[in-house]
Amino acid sequence: MSATRSSPKVSERVAAKAAEPTPPKKKRHDHDDDGPDFGTLVAAWLESHRSSLLDSLRRLGKQPIGSFFTCLVMAIALSLPMGLSLLLSNVERLGGSWQRAAQISLYLKLDASPAEGAKLRDDIKAIAGVADAEYVSSDDALKEFQQQSGLGEALKELPQNPLPGVVVVTPNEVDKPALEALRTRLAEMPKVQQAQLDLVWVERLAAILKLGDRFVFGLTVLLVLALLLVIGNTIRLHIENRRVEIEVIKLVGGTDSYVRRPFLYMGALYGLGAGLLSWGVLAYGLNWLNGAVVELAGLYGSDFALAGVPAADGLSLLLGAVLLGYIGAWIAVARHLRELAPR
Amino acid sequence: MIRFEQVGKRYPNGHVGLHELSFRVRRGEFLFVTGHSGAGKSTLLRLLLAMERPTTGKLLLAGQDLGQISNAQIPFLRRQIGVVFQNHQLLFDRTVFNNVALPLQILGLSKTEITKRVDSALERVALSDKAELYPGDLSTGQQQRVGIARAIVHRPALLLADEPTGNLDPRLAAEIMGVFEDINRLGTSVLIASHDLALIARMRHRMLTLQRGRLIGDGEAGV
Repeated sequence: MSATRSSPKVSERVAAKAAEPTPPKKKRHDHDDDGPDFGTLVAAWLESHRSSLLDSLRRLGKQPIGSFFTCLVMAIALSLPMGLSLLLSNVERLGGSWQRAAQISLYLKLDASPAEGAKLRDDIKAIAGVADAEYVSSDDALKEFQQQSGLGEALKELPQNPLPGVVVVTPNEVDKPALEALRTRLAEMPKVQQAQLDLVWVERLAAILKLGDRFVFGLTVLLVLALLLVIGNTIRLHIENRRVEIEVIKLVGGTDSYVRRPFLYMGALYGLGAGLLSWGVLAYGLNWLNGAVVELAGLYGSDFALAGVPAADGLSLLLGAVLLGYIGAWIAVARHLRELAPR
Repeated sequence: MIRFEQVGKRYPNGHVGLHELSFRVRRGEFLFVTGHSGAGKSTLLRLLLAMERPTTGKLLLAGQDLGQISNAQIPFLRRQIGVVFQNHQLLFDRTVFNNVALPLQILGLSKTEITKRVDSALERVALSDKAELYPGDLSTGQQQRVGIARAIVHRPALLLADEPTGNLDPRLAAEIMGVFEDINRLGTSVLIASHDLALIARMRHRMLTLQRGRLIGDGEAGV
């Protein structure tokens, strides 16, 4: 072998071959009966995937800055809806803690004595679904009203206290139907004139969150489309750069899937890079915001803090990004494969 | 091996590439297709490679009707054919070894088998010592021989060559033709499109002559 590797002239080699005993001319070609077996085909298929993956990594590594910026653009497109979604989750969490403070006010009949009011409070505390109950007598209510309204002197002129005693009930449940059921039950208790459940602000917050969810959904759809365009355009450029190679591959018997494979890996790798970057940006961004949020919450006597990026959300982000990269590449290659016919 | 039956090719712009061409090529035969530029040589090769389909007539290659073949079958048809181009069509970012190995990688052969066959093909074109070089490091003649090695490495039943000596000096051209004859001796049918009549005449093989898409001659070169 080493002797032949010293490159004899073709004519010399052909002459030497002619001097050898002439083998009988083959009737059939070797390729007719030497097809690879199943195991070899599987091994070759795996090897083909491995080499496509490595080739794609090598090509991305050859243009580190370009690859990084493509990933960054994709990461920004991913981070916007994901970041908004995480912020909404935090607001929902905050809203949930506020909802626990939703209260039912029980206005007692005017003839209810303070002792009856206190007993009622104790009875209510024993009810399942009630976290706490507080009795405010009619005298305490009047004093409070005098202080807060600034009408203290005028109220002193009243012949009798017009305010009823109140039991303020803090429920465990934040679910609106459960609160309604509790309110109905409390309204039927003795000495209760009226039971009032004020959920308007809770409903407003829920409506705002619902609007936010829709906004995030719309933004996600738009940015996913933008992401597909970015990855599609990037893959199209890679296809253009490898046009000759693709034409040669097709001419020597490469199937569409063989041609497509490295580009799909490339799309998935762009997605993976973008997903990792996006995860990092979100984790850093939420941590950065958290300082200010904790300070603000502290001013309202709350220990609320922003939650970071949960691992499950981060992994979903990664998986979604890889899938988007793969799908974007698939669409781009499918669109251009027809134009890649050898010329 | 190849059967043209009244094969015609008309392009959408009205240009007629081939007029009712009829001829046969036996398995293991060596023939030239010659004619002036625009005679239809390239169209003929493109039809055989299923890069285009005939608009009339019937074209059979190893029993397959190329007018009826599905797009999904085309890659598998091409695996039975080796192609050599005038401009080599080599991949300059891959080594000589990897250029030659490409058809075998597509076929899904094992690494060991690929190495064995590539070594054998490179030896056949006398480039064993250039396997790790890149095409850019080689001379034009050597690049053409790499193209030939790639075309024969998967042991095709048919070898097509489009003006394979077009860019080579007469000595190199003769060498390349020697390689083609050597391959043909092993049983591969060889069809070469060329307008180098002097070279063709020296080789004394069957020659088809085309003129404006029509077959005007079919006989032994130089006779």
